Amino acid sequence: MATLTVTQNFGKGACDLGVYRSLGGYASLGPRLFDLSQFELIDLVSRSGLRGRGGAGFPTGMKWSFVPRNSGKPVYLVVNADEGEPGTFKDHVLMLEDPHRLIEGMLICGWALGVRTAYIYVRGEFLPAIEALNRALKQAYDAGILGENIQGTGYSLDIYVHRGAGAYICGEETALINSLEGYKGQPRLKPPFPAVSGAWASPTCVNNVETLMALPWILENGPAAYQALGTPKSGGTKVFSVSGDVKRPGVYEVPMGTPLMELLESKDLCQGIVGELKGVIPGGSSSPVLLAEEARKANLDYEALAALKTMLGSGAVIAFNTTRNAVGMLASLTRFYAHESCGQCTPCREGTGYADRILKSVVAGKGRDGDLEHMLDLAANFSYTTICPLAIADAWPIENFIGKFRPEFEKAVSANPGHASPRMDDDFRPGAFW
Amino acid sequence: MSNSYHMPVLPKPDGKKVTINVDGRDVEVPEGTNLVEALKTIGIATPHFCYHPDLPVAGNCRQCMVETDGPRGMGLAIACYTPVRAGMKVATDHSSEKVKTARKAVMEFQLANHPLDCPICDKAGECSLQDNYMSAGGQTSRMREGIGKQYKGSPENRHQDSKGQDRGGKHLDLGPTVILDQERCILCDRCVRFMRDVAGSEQLYIAGRGDHAFLSTFPGSELSHEYDLNVTDVCPVGALTGKHFRFHQRVWNLVSTQTIDPTDSLGANITVDHYDGQAWRIMPRRNPDVNKSWIHNDTRLAYQKLSENRLAAGLFGKNEIPLSQATSRLGELVRGARKLALVASGHLTLEDNAAILALAQFLGSRAEVFGGSWLPVGKPDNIARSGDPVPNRLGQKLLGIADNLDELVRRAKEFDVLVVVGHDLWKIAPSKAKALEAIPERIVLSAWHDDSVAKATLSVGIRSWAEVRGTMVNCQGRVQMMQAAPILPSPDLEPAWQILSSAGRLGWTSELDAFRFAQGRIPALAGLTYRNIGPMGRILEGVVA
Amino acid sequence: MGHCHTKVDQPSTDEVFSKLEIPSVLERAEELVRRYPVPRSALLPMLWLAQEVLGWLPQEAIRWAAGKCEVSPVHAYGVSMFYTMYKKEPTGRFFLQICQNVSCHVLGAEDIIAHAEKTLETTSHGGTTSDNLFTLLRVECLGACGNGPVMQVNDDFATDVVDGALAMPTGVSLTKERFDKIVAWCRQQAKSQQKEPVRDASGGAFRTGGHPGAKGANTAAQKPDYAPAPPVLGLSVQKTEDGKVKVTWRADAGVSALHLENRTNGTEFISLATLTGKDKEWVGELPAGTELRMVSESQGRRAKPSNIAKVEA
Repeated sequence: MATLTVTQNFGKGACDLGVYRSLGGYASLGPRLFDLSQFELIDLVSRSGLRGRGGAGFPTGMKWSFVPRNSGKPVYLVVNADEGEPGTFKDHVLMLEDPHRLIEGMLICGWALGVRTAYIYVRGEFLPAIEALNRALKQAYDAGILGENIQGTGYSLDIYVHRGAGAYICGEETALINSLEGYKGQPRLKPPFPAVSGAWASPTCVNNVETLMALPWILENGPAAYQALGTPKSGGTKVFSVSGDVKRPGVYEVPMGTPLMELLESKDLCQGIVGELKGVIPGGSSSPVLLAEEARKANLDYEALAALKTMLGSGAVIAFNTTRNAVGMLASLTRFYAHESCGQCTPCREGTGYADRILKSVVAGKGRDGDLEHMLDLAANFSYTTICPLAIADAWPIENFIGKFRPEFEKAVSANPGHASPRMDDDFRPGAFW
Repeated sequence: MSNSYHMPVLPKPDGKKVTINVDGRDVEVPEGTNLVEALKTIGIATPHFCYHPDLPVAGNCRQCMVETDGPRGMGLAIACYTPVRAGMKVATDHSSEKVKTARKAVMEFQLANHPLDCPICDKAGECSLQDNYMSAGGQTSRMREGIGKQYKGSPENRHQDSKGQDRGGKHLDLGPTVILDQERCILCDRCVRFMRDVAGSEQLYIAGRGDHAFLSTFPGSELSHEYDLNVTDVCPVGALTGKHFRFHQRVWNLVSTQTIDPTDSLGANITVDHYDGQAWRIMPRRNPDVNKSWIHNDTRLAYQKLSENRLAAGLFGKNEIPLSQATSRLGELVRGARKLALVASGHLTLEDNAAILALAQFLGSRAEVFGGSWLPVGKPDNIARSGDPVPNRLGQKLLGIADNLDELVRRAKEFDVLVVVGHDLWKIAPSKAKALEAIPERIVLSAWHDDSVAKATLSVGIRSWAEVRGTMVNCQGRVQMMQAAPILPSPDLEPAWQILSSAGRLGWTSELDAFRFAQGRIPALAGLTYRNIGPMGRILEGVVA
Repeated sequence: MGHCHTKVDQPSTDEVFSKLEIPSVLERAEELVRRYPVPRSALLPMLWLAQEVLGWLPQEAIRWAAGKCEVSPVHAYGVSMFYTMYKKEPTGRFFLQICQNVSCHVLGAEDIIAHAEKTLETTSHGGTTSDNLFTLLRVECLGACGNGPVMQVNDDFATDVVDGALAMPTGVSLTKERFDKIVAWCRQQAKSQQKEPVRDASGGAFRTGGHPGAKGANTAAQKPDYAPAPPVLGLSVQKTEDGKVKVTWRADAGVSALHLENRTNGTEFISLATLTGKDKEWVGELPAGTELRMVSESQGRRAKPSNIAKVEA
């Protein structure tokens, strides 16, 4: 049995403070944490090799080191639990199963950065998880784990749950901050970065749920032990959300660098593919899709997947078998990104919807020759021209699905008997405005 | 404020310069400014929609893409949010295919869901979307039938048109002054930022998200603010249009004449836009040190009075007489007066007031000049008004004209002739002005059939503020030029200084003679000419502390 | 609910405000404002609260929330229209949201949505059944892909009915049969005349001290020196090419002074040099065998000494 650093309490009723404590919880609330200076703690996390588990994989220790202390402004910790990337549901389960571990992780992070008030931004659909968190918070407050002057250390921390209201883009950290501040969840121009000027123009650290939940283990076992669990560049373990055509979908924690097929086929994990594997989306809906033969070569760490021109992302593995239609899958993704574009930057706002309408037309059997090129061109044009990466998250699936399953898309276009007919209105507007 | 906004850093005339490399050429540009402004100083225009020098940067239109060098080599960046840094490399569309493609792509995206409205759109001819298409787009549409547009509109206003298409909001009455066309909106957010950050009253917001986001007021609420017409200026497309001008005149017919706000002592810089001898609208003229890009609604609508109720001839009692006759009658009365009271006006130019002083000088001790105003002074709004409704109050003071209208009222019985120039005393304070009716000969020079004209024994029509060339000194001590728009209601009308000049046989042939006289009275005007005052005006040294 | 594209009849201001301006709601509203440094930030929770009380979010409720959060009504309107979970129109008693995104799509969500449309005789784009019992909406990812296809009934995930209650057991996904089972459960619930209790939209938030300095809060700001002073880490000694000794270390950016100390032959450490927090290295001549350590000082507090480094021969 591999070492578990985050999910070890699953299925043990750790929602309850007593149970969590009996499983070794809140052990860091003692000399282990209180004897550490902020500097040492940040250094310790840096050495553990822990990287942001929300998708971008930014080294956590480095992120913390950017947060200025003694700036005269309060420092905020905002937990990104706005888990919205299709295929991702690990944070949802983590919060339901082990909310106290999140609180403990927040205490550790809070201690490192001098946080007085922290917010957990949970996506609105997760009301049961919010309830679990609030129950755990209540217990923690009652036990003197949260609030003012925690255990006589002079350190104070308040944690509030902030419920989102249905916007995928709020998973982007500056959009999340805007949403927390009471604005539309639209990403901000950078710089300034949140570490310097985030929520309420104060230094703000935005961390993913899983990232914070790894901290108690790291503090207990030391950074070297955590680093050693994974690969040299991707330390530790990672929680994967596996869905799609596998025998036992769910949330699994495996060491970084584990082969993708081991996750999908091991009898302790997903127990194999239903049907014959056609492809795998390895890191959430926006990560480029892998064909079955690529998936068989893939290891689950940041570098190995980058080498296959895809990414680990949030660790959402979506496997699909040969009976599934790539056109329909892509259509569900382009529809999603068009629906979730925040409407701020022109290319993403108009482009994601435009690409979606073209694909909808193809799916409806009204495709035309050139539609695929047009979509690819639109995707290329809305990549890297916007404030945040949502447009890229749409462009990658478009480019990769069409690129890797081209015959299926061509078949869908030619299902229209008139697919080759010229544009009806070409004659009327030679080079005119529109 | 959905973004952490920053006001753009604008170039200062005497600011530090740094060298950057633009399209392979080393150039000097102001330090610290954004690239849109920096490139402007070296003559490169960058197409944009959301950027506005007097609004916080939003960076959402993505039209102003350039390539700059970064840690990962040359990459696209928006010029409006990229500060100039010494030694940086910039590639514009002149040298970078990537920039050209990106800008073209943004044009395609902007137009993808924009209605085909140009022929019936009032913004056509001064539309950023049209302009930028010509400079940065130019492509043929790739949108084929069967794809369709996603028109923008609030739930209340969505409808199906006669072809069964799902349409958004058209010509929505937003309030007393503005009409909104939600479909045409390109969501640049400028109007939202204007209302929130400049006007200080958040009444507009972009609701919804994605390509179905739309501009709206709170449902059922009006857009109503004394500066709200500025949103029609900042709107780069025809989404927000003013009721006062909508469908009145095609903008390409209009010719602009630069002048000054006649309704306030800040002297907001404006243009009078005219065509075929008529003024059709007033637009703000950007002056970063005076009114930025903004004008008050009352200023904007002041053009409407230019063709209404004009006094285009003379009046002898109630009888209309030709202007020439009125002018010579004026001369006779003035020269034959026993004791003459001349009332100057802060609503007129330095030149007109100089003529009053020159006339008084000619008449010697028989004439006395009175000035000032009975109009109450309000507070500055820090947008485009100082609160003082007398535009040339400071100029009048500098000329040495005292604020002593009350004294005139007290001593009215001493005078046998009263000449009031461009100053509607009977309208402003009828009860005070009533005492002046004791003066037997009351001569009023006015551009309008106003209340003072009604009380006059002789009235002479003069040119209005928009029809004269001259100067005024605003409350900052800035002397500013007014140019004459060719919109005279009658070709015989002359400016006040000219009528006074002939009454006093001063022999002045142009405004310059009057200006020279004013320079004699105001040392700070020394060395200035109409040309070097320029369109932005000149601060008079030592006039305002 | 979703993106509202149709005109909805709106209740009057009085009707809405009479339900919101009651002590129990006002108390919660006040508590929400305390949680954030500025009232504006309570806007999302405030809209949730109004929606919880009214069942949906009429425009006047948005105006109410704007007033409580001290923002302009149009700001609150724009924000509420941005987020899809605020119901801009009333829904049926059971609000069924079926996920149509990629994981669920792969596993046949479209079939289930088609089945639901047929069973309930309504559209999946926010259609409400004629008995006002069900509103059906196809939605994007619900974040429970491991159970895909999944559905939410009001605020609960439901792929099955277990022991007379809605549930989403591990590994159990929604099928047409289970959908029918859930619908039957809902109908049964409706028949039992027992109204399900109103769910707290804040997920059981409780009263705490509030954000320091916020309206109505009574908490103090963070004590700046709660943690031990930051020591110097990773002190190490190298020999330079010209035979000198170069000392390097890692210190916190906030330290005011660094005291480099040395000793020979295990005696007491004595001060060698005092450096500033900006210094990154020290070079000097020291005999082999000298032991070095460093003590940092920040805001008058001395940290515990660093590791001991030895000058090698």
